[in-house]
Amino acid sequence: MKLTGPLERVLKVLVADPAAQHYGYDLMKAARLPSGTLYPMLARLQQEGLLDSQWEEQRPDAGGRPPRKYYRLTAEGARVARLELARASAEPGSKRNVAARPAHGTQGGAL
Amino acid sequence: MSRAPAVRRIAEWLIHAACRRLPADERGERCREWTAELPAILDDESVHPPFRRTLRALAFSAGISRTTRRLSRSSLAGSRRTRESQWRAGGLPARPSDLAVRVARGLVVWLVVVAGLVTLITVLGTGPHPSTWPLLIVVALGVGFDVYCLEDIARAAEVRYLRKWLWVVICLIQMPLGGILYLSIGRVGPARPVPPSSLS
Repeated sequence: MKLTGPLERVLKVLVADPAAQHYGYDLMKAARLPSGTLYPMLARLQQEGLLDSQWEEQRPDAGGRPPRKYYRLTAEGARVARLELARASAEPGSKRNVAARPAHGTQGGAL
Repeated sequence: MSRAPAVRRIAEWLIHAACRRLPADERGERCREWTAELPAILDDESVHPPFRRTLRALAFSAGISRTTRRLSRSSLAGSRRTRESQWRAGGLPARPSDLAVRVARGLVVWLVVVAGLVTLITVLGTGPHPSTWPLLIVVALGVGFDVYCLEDIARAAEVRYLRKWLWVVICLIQMPLGGILYLSIGRVGPARPVPPSSLS
């Protein structure tokens, strides 16, 4: 897994509390990413088994709001994310390097 | 429940259109996931003024459109042939109606342009010395855009749906909108060549 700027931001949000459940808009705001960047990334992470998703239980107090899909890191995902984030922060000037090379499955790695 | 049901409906419609790009087995679930985010966006109290929530919901839908394009290209969706058969198995129209999507895209661009122009006029026109020159700028921009469109029509070997002269009339009558409609619907860009079968 190559760490791009947007991916790094998403992983930081997820690692901050690995047990927390996040829905898409929540992650968009926390990582400050547009939906067109976030969702392809979530799909890829899920495909690689690093991310787990589940549907929200329909609550009576939701006011007819449709159930959301929540994402959470798997145990493997939390391990890999911590490792990658640690590696990225250990490398000086790593930001520029990761931004220059697009990660597999994403388009462009710009911040 | 929602503050702006019309906006929500438009955004939902855009997401549905985008989801038709996906293979049938993922389509329903993804579509439900993304439309379920809309209430959170439209009722997000931390975003002021409410108009920005509308823009955010529309930007969200546009991002979903990019997402499905990317997902359908990636290996997730498998080869082109399996995707085609999955589309058919889905019971929905095989593909998003190209025309409807293009019209919607054109309208969104038009809305953005009009909103931008209105902002420009109010910002420039309410200064200490209100004058007519902001209006002139807007008119100059519109004329410039129109000239660009007319030139494009004149150079194009082929245009879609209507005859060339009709597109010219539309561009001239509906100044900003006509040109945008032409570019979004009528233009045969280099990226979407006309299939040889329809030329012969």
